[in-house]
Amino acid sequence: MVGSEERFEKISEKVMESTEADELEIRIIERDTALTRYANSQIHQNIGQEDVDISIRAIFGKKTGAASTNSLKESSVKDCLSKAETIAKNQKSDPDLKGLPEPKEAKKSKENYVDATVEFTPDKRASKVKEIIEMAKSEGVDRVYGAFQTEEQNLFVANSKGVKKFSRFTSSNLTTTAIADWDNDQGFGWSESCSADVREIDHMQVGRTAVEKGLNNMNTEKIDLGEYDVVLEPLAVKSILMYLDMMGLSAKKVQEERSFMKGKFGEQIMDERVNIYDDVADPDMIGYPFDYEGVPKQRVDLIDNGVANEVVYDSYTAGREEGKESTGHALPMPNPMSPLAMNLLMDTGDYSKEEMIEETDKGILVTRFNYCRPVHPVKGILTGLTRDGTWLIEDGEIKHPLNNLRFTQNLIEAFNKIEGIGEERTLFSMGFYPGYFAAPALKISDFNFTGTTEF
Amino acid sequence: MRDLVEFGIEELEKKDIQYGDIRLSEINTEVINVKNGTVEAIKSSESEGYGIRVIDGGWGFASSADISKKGIQNTIKRARKIAKASAKASEPIELKEVETHQDSYTTPYKKDPFKMGLEEKLNYLMDVNERMDIDDKIKVRKCDFHAWKTKKFFASTEGARIEQDLIKTGGGLNVNVSDGEDTQKRSYPNSFGGDFNSRGYEFFESLELLEHAEETAQEGVDLLDAKQCPEGDMDIILNTNQLALQVHESCGHPTELDRALGTEASYAGTSFMTPDKLGELQYGSDIVNIVSDPTAEGGLGTFGFDDEGVKARKVDLIKDGMFVGYQASREGAAKVGVEVSSSMRADGWKNLPIVRMTNINLEPGDWSKDEIIEETDKGIIFDGIKSWSIDDKRLNFQFGTEAGYLVENGEITDLIKNPTYTGITYDFWQNCDAIAGEDEWKLHGVPNCGKGEPPQTMQVGHGCAPSRFKDIRVGVGKW
Repeated sequence: MVGSEERFEKISEKVMESTEADELEIRIIERDTALTRYANSQIHQNIGQEDVDISIRAIFGKKTGAASTNSLKESSVKDCLSKAETIAKNQKSDPDLKGLPEPKEAKKSKENYVDATVEFTPDKRASKVKEIIEMAKSEGVDRVYGAFQTEEQNLFVANSKGVKKFSRFTSSNLTTTAIADWDNDQGFGWSESCSADVREIDHMQVGRTAVEKGLNNMNTEKIDLGEYDVVLEPLAVKSILMYLDMMGLSAKKVQEERSFMKGKFGEQIMDERVNIYDDVADPDMIGYPFDYEGVPKQRVDLIDNGVANEVVYDSYTAGREEGKESTGHALPMPNPMSPLAMNLLMDTGDYSKEEMIEETDKGILVTRFNYCRPVHPVKGILTGLTRDGTWLIEDGEIKHPLNNLRFTQNLIEAFNKIEGIGEERTLFSMGFYPGYFAAPALKISDFNFTGTTEF
Repeated sequence: MRDLVEFGIEELEKKDIQYGDIRLSEINTEVINVKNGTVEAIKSSESEGYGIRVIDGGWGFASSADISKKGIQNTIKRARKIAKASAKASEPIELKEVETHQDSYTTPYKKDPFKMGLEEKLNYLMDVNERMDIDDKIKVRKCDFHAWKTKKFFASTEGARIEQDLIKTGGGLNVNVSDGEDTQKRSYPNSFGGDFNSRGYEFFESLELLEHAEETAQEGVDLLDAKQCPEGDMDIILNTNQLALQVHESCGHPTELDRALGTEASYAGTSFMTPDKLGELQYGSDIVNIVSDPTAEGGLGTFGFDDEGVKARKVDLIKDGMFVGYQASREGAAKVGVEVSSSMRADGWKNLPIVRMTNINLEPGDWSKDEIIEETDKGIIFDGIKSWSIDDKRLNFQFGTEAGYLVENGEITDLIKNPTYTGITYDFWQNCDAIAGEDEWKLHGVPNCGKGEPPQTMQVGHGCAPSRFKDIRVGVGKW
């Protein structure tokens, strides 16, 4: 990492001094990512990446322009400022623009930065991977696949109204897929673990879970399509939470009438045991304590005892509603996806996975979902497939593995048919999605399976 | 920049390594989003840096934005350290021999999109946006412009020296409509921000957004009162904007050799098109011919050389319905004994090149779309990508489009909303019985193909003409 808080502050001060803009924001994101991928029980890709992004947002009246560069050189930053200013001057006025956010102190600031994660070398990653490979082999599984990633990030945000924030953040993530019988294309199993502290990743447990699932997932059978009770493991629930987030938990979606929350605030839209909230300060969550505009992230109770309660705001969407303030959920601006709940949690219940299975007469146990996509975002209809371990439950026991199934299901209806919520929750990252999720297992009745595949 | 790359190669050649390459890029992008009469975002970005691959016991890759000799040396050191760690669990690596090039390539274009005035682009998009403002039910009206310019230098310890200047341009428009009960979306010329090509500003002009603004907005409004898609099995006709995605998901991805060999198993998934099925699997009907063609004029996946220095070349994937070829890297090709397809590409300088689609094209047939409709007793025409999902071996898929048109007794009789169809890949392509001809063949750009860890986004192209598929299940789910 080439930057530091002091260096970023100096860059920021120079930019603030030399701008002609009425308001100015500078945001610097620096990342060092290391990742070891393994497939067929061999390391086949192994990388280290470092990059920095300096973005400048200039505002003249109600006109905004933004530019970015990845060079910290004075001349490059100066060019970047000039470009942002030129764009802003040539821009059209936006009557809804209320300007950049004012400085605000966080009630609680948590920094998820762990030296051990930063110091985790390629050699250490390779050694852990090798141990997983050897353990799998000892269990008769010759092919495991996955990735071990560690990342260090710096985020600096300052604006001409006095916002100045810096935070560091580390994350680590290990995934393992086992394919117990490659020759016959079967025996898929999966597990993963995520933490700010790489020492908390129990690599052997991740590997063992994947191998065990793979070995128990041979000779799958087809099942008639229709509605079944489902026991969704936390990873499957994470996918559902992510799509709920995308389909409706932001102020922009509500303002544009593209959210299932629109017109429902104060109404009971889900089972009363459902509590979904965004809270970076929760002990089970990791992330920056402030958003990409430098606004401290507030806890937002999105679904409160099943009631549609609130959505997340950035400064722009807050400015469009009387009396609203940003909740600290801006993405790097300008950004058509902003705001977004980036630290989403669901409250736990009092069921163990075993109890959920025991109380199921006929149902399906799902490890995770693959390739989910909204079919009708405002109605909350989602489709996707099960992956890496799906089992039939009968009379309270797991009977046999099933071919993967496609569901097409209204999620709001599904969250009204909750039979049980898991007593623990698991933290997940999502490769392409700028957020983290802490999800429990769920038992849901009448989940609609509309298709099946050949494995 | 060229000097720095030469310095990097000299440094790599001093080391005792099996192979090394360096790829340095300068990337400029410009994005303009206009929404509801105001500019939602204008952003200009520039990024430069380099990625270095080495084989030193195992694979190692490191990238950096430190544009200096010291930076190059540090990055080589990091890549080698990583490679040596890989060697702990790596088998010997062989790269298939290919011709080594000292060459250059520039995208043919007429108007540099970065030299067109910002005000001109902005005024045009504002006009388009205003033209869409035809009904109170339109809650969001949006139009976009995108341009990318990349300058790349590639050099390898085998002697390759390649310079490329690539330009891509595109844009589109869409509306979200609501009547308080239902919500619908309509886009032109396609979803994902429109359509994109490896051409200059002239391509954006050719989209004629202004001319299509009102009709697209009106059809969005009309969808609110349209009939719900019927359920059952019937013939379907895919317009090119949807067929492009069908080709992408059900032929493009499963013919990536890395997936077939399992190296994407933990993330994107594997493929049902495994090497033992090469030359054996009747993938489609005998009118189905699909190629990987990075030489296709104007395609979003068009270039001179891929990111391991292989010259762009056209490769058959499906010939007369038979599975005959893969998209393959040098390493994958050596493992399986197939041709190298010039498909290794990286998202920017900082990512590792992996097997990516170029332009995966369904070759034209000998029908016209009008003839296909005339000879359809009952069916649905699908238009405009809305929802897409497929399993991790690329067999079971389900797609939804923005609009459908009911065909009865050879005529379009009604507009349909929420149309969906589902199937199994090879059954579906074996039921392809009509493909329109060259006159209606169109090369679409898909700008957001995701693959790899860390995730990489790639721009790919898909050429196709409207086609018909018999007896497909439509209308999935409860509405």
